[in-house]
Amino acid sequence: MSNKAPVLIAPASVRLFHQSLFKTLVYFFVLILFLAGAYKAFPLVMDALFLIVIAAILTAVFNPLVDRMESYGVRRIYGTLLMFGVIFTVVGAGVVKGIPALLNEVGRIKDVIQQNSATNSLDSILVDLNAKIAGYVPGFQIDPEMISSVSAQFFGQLGSILAGALDTLATVIFILIITMFFLVDGKRMTKVLIGMVPNSYFEMSLNITYKTKQQLTNFLRGQLLAALGVAIQSIIGLYLLNAIFDANISGVMLIGSIAGMANMIPFVGPFMGMVPAIIVSLFNNLGDPAAAANFYYILHIIVMFLIVQMIDNNIISPIVVSGSMEMHPLTVILLILVGSQIGVLGMFLAVPAWGITKVIIQEVYQGLKGHHLI
Amino acid sequence: MNEKLNMSYPLFESFKNKLKPKRSQAQMALSQVNVFHRLSWQEIKIIENAVHIRNYGPGEPVFKQGDPGSGMYIIIEGCVGIFLDIPHQPPKQLSKLGDGDFFGEIALLDASPRTAAATALENSTIIGFYRPDLMDILKTKPALGGKILLALSEVLAVRLRATNGELVKVTRKLEAFSESGENE
Repeated sequence: MSNKAPVLIAPASVRLFHQSLFKTLVYFFVLILFLAGAYKAFPLVMDALFLIVIAAILTAVFNPLVDRMESYGVRRIYGTLLMFGVIFTVVGAGVVKGIPALLNEVGRIKDVIQQNSATNSLDSILVDLNAKIAGYVPGFQIDPEMISSVSAQFFGQLGSILAGALDTLATVIFILIITMFFLVDGKRMTKVLIGMVPNSYFEMSLNITYKTKQQLTNFLRGQLLAALGVAIQSIIGLYLLNAIFDANISGVMLIGSIAGMANMIPFVGPFMGMVPAIIVSLFNNLGDPAAAANFYYILHIIVMFLIVQMIDNNIISPIVVSGSMEMHPLTVILLILVGSQIGVLGMFLAVPAWGITKVIIQEVYQGLKGHHLI
Repeated sequence: MNEKLNMSYPLFESFKNKLKPKRSQAQMALSQVNVFHRLSWQEIKIIENAVHIRNYGPGEPVFKQGDPGSGMYIIIEGCVGIFLDIPHQPPKQLSKLGDGDFFGEIALLDASPRTAAATALENSTIIGFYRPDLMDILKTKPALGGKILLALSEVLAVRLRATNGELVKVTRKLEAFSESGENE
């Protein structure tokens, strides 16, 4: 009897063991398949995610406009189409007229840099400049090779970015199409996604999503308006330098646009915006004794950009930038270093991207704390 | 006359029924809420698109006492209990709400913590209308948002008047009590 008992129990337990083993094997197989698929599809998923993130950022920027049109009784679809019509017209005109001119300008500056490096006339300018600077700041010297390589690299990369932008026109159009869908149906999509959240976290998720969206919209709108302000001021300033001092700075629109974009990077941005103007002034005024006597208008340019920064920091930014990006200078430098691994574009985007991440983390943390979940 | 028509022309009746607009359960529930009772069916439909319909199992909390208030709830189907958490004591049930009842409408205006907890007592389907939804309506449909805010103010005014009435009663009682104390 005592021998029979294990025999009676055995088939059931063996069956159970087989079943669980089979289940485990199936799960393991599915997991392997999933991981293999994920590994294979990772670049594709990342590409798609990148497009979606860019489209989401654009949606956050344009959503208030579509909302405003809707409040006047214009249906979202028509509001979105109208806005995109205007954007396509403006951007299209800019691309058709502006990009070839910009590429020519970049190519010309690059040529000048290369020619001057080859003929050593750059060296002679810098020797002259160094001699003059030594009179004011003893021991300070500008290395000609450094200037030549940095400027050639900068304009070379800028050219490749612009050329790349033209090559990836299809990607841009794709992003705009996703943005259009987000603008028209974004609310319904968000509602469906939030609807999947379990009841106990639902209210919190809804609040966090709403507040994050608000903060993100304010942040991006503020950054873009501040950048636009700096770009316009820089363009006006450079035109004034040309008009008053005959500084002969070409590519004013391009330099102003770079200054505006660079302004999104705290601390370093304003200097980044200054550099192209100084380089262009330097190379456009080669061999001009009047320009040489004026330090190739470098001081004028620096003063002009400082005035632009003063106006931006004291008047424009306090009005348009809500929830300023308070960051430690070390954080900014580290972010720019990390961004530089991707290239110039990475340097531009690293700080705003961190600003957006910071806003999201803050809102999620406050939401969790409010609901006593942390 | 109508009866005659109905009796004699079943085809006409069927046609009439087909023409009759079909209202969803959510629309019917929304139209009964004092915050939305002045809205047209078209406006109710806009609200229906903005709200969230949630299902709760028995014993599942809708919100807990102390949670930041973020919106109101309307019961389409089921039963919800409102409980007051008292430290070291079992929760005290304040009320039991059923189909068509609503609660938490003041949280649309104010994010202060919930003063009581709401828990589903049976399988319930509940509409949630939250502050972000109201803000969104105010942004995109300002006229409709204004109507809702006006109705909310009316609810508040009625409650304030009722509270004032109660306060007057209590004050009179207190005065009478203190006068009787002085006389004695």
